[in-house]
Amino acid sequence: MTAITLTVNGQSVSAEITPRTHLADFLREHLLLTGTHIGCEHGICGACTVEIDGEIARSCITYAAGCDGAEIRTIEGFDDDKLMARLRQAFSEAHALQCGYCTPGMLIAARDLIRRKGGLSGAQIRTEMSGNLCRCTGYVGIVEAMARVMAERATLDLPSASVRGARLGPAPGPASSTTGNAKPAAPHRSLAASANVGSASARGTQSPPPVAPTTKGRRIKVEVGSVEEVAGKTRLTQSFVLEHPRDAVWQLMADAQAVATCMPGMKLDAPLPDGRVTGRMEIALGPIKASFAGEGTIASFPAEYRQVISGKGGDRKSSSSAAGEVAYRLRRETGPSGVEVTRVDVELGYSLTGPLAQFSRSNMVRALVSRIGESFAQNLDAKLSTPEDAEILSAPLSMGSLIWRVAFDRLRTGVTRVFGRKS
Amino acid sequence: MKPVAFDYERPHTIEGAVGILSGNSDAKILAGGQTLGPMLNLRLVQPTLIVDVTRIPDLTRIEEEEDAVTLGACITHAAIEDSRFADPSNGFLAEVARGIAYRAVRTRGTIGGSLAHADPAADWLSCLLAVGAEVLLTGPRGKRRVALKEFVRGALDTELAPDEVLDGVRIPRFSRKARAGFAKICRKSGEFADAIGAVVHDSDRGVLQLVAGATRGQPILINGEAEGLGASFPPPLEPVREKLKQSGLVGDAYELNIHMAAIKRAIANAQA
Repeated sequence: MTAITLTVNGQSVSAEITPRTHLADFLREHLLLTGTHIGCEHGICGACTVEIDGEIARSCITYAAGCDGAEIRTIEGFDDDKLMARLRQAFSEAHALQCGYCTPGMLIAARDLIRRKGGLSGAQIRTEMSGNLCRCTGYVGIVEAMARVMAERATLDLPSASVRGARLGPAPGPASSTTGNAKPAAPHRSLAASANVGSASARGTQSPPPVAPTTKGRRIKVEVGSVEEVAGKTRLTQSFVLEHPRDAVWQLMADAQAVATCMPGMKLDAPLPDGRVTGRMEIALGPIKASFAGEGTIASFPAEYRQVISGKGGDRKSSSSAAGEVAYRLRRETGPSGVEVTRVDVELGYSLTGPLAQFSRSNMVRALVSRIGESFAQNLDAKLSTPEDAEILSAPLSMGSLIWRVAFDRLRTGVTRVFGRKS
Repeated sequence: MKPVAFDYERPHTIEGAVGILSGNSDAKILAGGQTLGPMLNLRLVQPTLIVDVTRIPDLTRIEEEEDAVTLGACITHAAIEDSRFADPSNGFLAEVARGIAYRAVRTRGTIGGSLAHADPAADWLSCLLAVGAEVLLTGPRGKRRVALKEFVRGALDTELAPDEVLDGVRIPRFSRKARAGFAKICRKSGEFADAIGAVVHDSDRGVLQLVAGATRGQPILINGEAEGLGASFPPPLEPVREKLKQSGLVGDAYELNIHMAAIKRAIANAQA
C-alpha cells in the first residue's frame, strides 16, 4: 500500500492505496465521486477526463499514487464554475447528450478548449475534441453547444490556466521546480548535466558512442519471400547462403542444441528419449516481455538434407500461445571463388492464439523477418567458422520477438487505430 | 482492464532512478504514462516495479547552449505546444506538438517517454530525426550522448539499456532562415499515423533532412548531402521515392504513395 495526500474538489484527502489503483477508480471507489465515468479504461475514449492541477487528463491511465500532492477536479467540482454552468445549459439546449455517458468528460474537455482557444470553426472544434468519444454519436449537438459558448467567449469571465502556473512536466511534478515559480519559462539548470554536455559540445569533440554490433561475424544477406496468411497461420520463406560445405552445415543444423544457441532468446533442455525437445523462448518487445515454454519435435531427412522442426508453447503471463514450424533444406552451390557453399531455404509458419490473436493483419513481418534471418544466419556462420568458441552475441531480434512484433502491430492496428494514442 | 499488482518508487534524482533500475531487471520507468498506462491496463506489460520519474527536477530542465538546447525528458507535449520556453526550432516543435494525440494526452505525455518507447508512428521520433536531435542517456556506467538516428534500431527497439534513463533531448538551434515542415496521414485526427513526413532545411547550417515515419520498422532518414539531393529547396523527389522503395520498410505501392504524399505535404508546409 502507498499513502497519498491530495486535494479533490478543494478538499484534502489522505488514503492508503495499492500502486496499481488508477485515479478514476480511486475517485469512484474510494471517494464515491461517480461522476467520473470509465469507458474504455485504457486512455482512448475520454469519458474519465478530469483536471489535474488545472490541466485535463485521463484518469484511467493516471495512477493515483502518482497524484500524491496534486489538485484534482472532477465533474462534481465544477458546480460553481460559471463557464461550466453556461456549457451545461448549452448542452441541454443543443441536445448535446443522449445517454450521458461521455458527458462529464465532454464537458471538462469542452471547458478546457474554450478556456484556451476562441474563434474555432466547427471542423476545428471537432479536431480538438477528437479525443472524446460519444457512443450515441451525438457530435452534431456537442459541436453546436460548444460553438454557441465559444461565440460568447468575449463576454464570459474565462477561468485562468493551470492552478499552479505553467509547468513543463506532467502534474504534479517536482514541487521545487514548479510551485511558486513566477517565471515558468526560466530554464532550470542542472549543473552536473549541463557541465558535462555543455563542455563537450563546446569542444565539439564528443561524438556519439558507436552503436554496439548486435551480431558477430560476416554480414549475410537474407532474401525474404512474400508473407502470406492462410487459415490463421502466417507463412513466409527466406533464403541465405553460408560459405561452408553442405555436410558441415548439415552436421551443425542437425544438432538441435547447437542451432538453438544461434537463435537468440532460445534455450532447449536436454532431449527426451522419444525425440521430443522441451525448452523456453525468452522474448522482449519494448516493455513487453514474455517467456514461452513448450515442446517440439524434430524430423530429419538426411538423404534430402532437410529437417522439419515444429513446436508450440504458452506464456503464462499473457495467457497467449504460439505454435509454429520451421522447415529447411540445404542445397549445394558453387561460390564465387569456386568453392562449395550452402544455400539454406527456410519455410516458416506460425500462429498465435489468445488475447493477442484477435487483431487485424500484421504489416511489419517482412522487414523484421529479414533482420531476424540475418541474426540467425550470422550466428550460424560464426559458429561454423570457429566451432569451438564461437561467441554468440544475443541479438535484439529473435523469432520470438518477431511474434511479439506481429502481435504488437496487430494490437495497435486493431485497437489503437480505432481509438487511441500514446505519449 | 486493471494492471497487475506492482510496486511503486518515486526517486528524486536521475542517479536514484538508475540505482533502482540497476537493482531490479523487471522495473519499468513511468513518465507521462500515455503509452505505458494503456499497456499496463491491457496487461501487455506486467512489471514488478514502476519507477515514476516525474518528480525528478532535472528531467524538466532546459539547458541553453550556443548551438543547441537540451530539453529534460519529462517535458510534456503541452508545454512545447504552448511555447512555455524559448523554442530553438522557430516554432517547428510547437507545431508538431499541437498535432500529437489529444490535449488530455499532451498534458501528460513526455518527449523523452515518446523517444524511449520508439514507436515508429510516434510524432517526435520522425520530427526529431529530421531535426538531427541527440538523446542523453544516464546509467551506472556514466552518461552518453547518442544521435537519435543511432539510438533507434527498429520498432520499439532502441539503444537504451535496461538500467539507463533517457534524461534529455538535445536539439540543435535552427538558424533564422531555417524551414521545416511536418505532415501526417491519419484515419482519425489524433490517431497513430499511417504515414508521416518531416523535412528540415537549414541552408546556413548546411542541413537538409527528410524523414518518412510510421513505416514497418524505424523511420527512414534521408540526408540530403549523403543522397546527393543538391542544395536547392524543394529537393528532387525521385531519389527519395527510390530510397523508400529500397528500404524494404514501406511495403506495397499504396504505402509508398502515402509516404511520398506525407513527404510532399511536409515540404509544402515548410514552404508555407
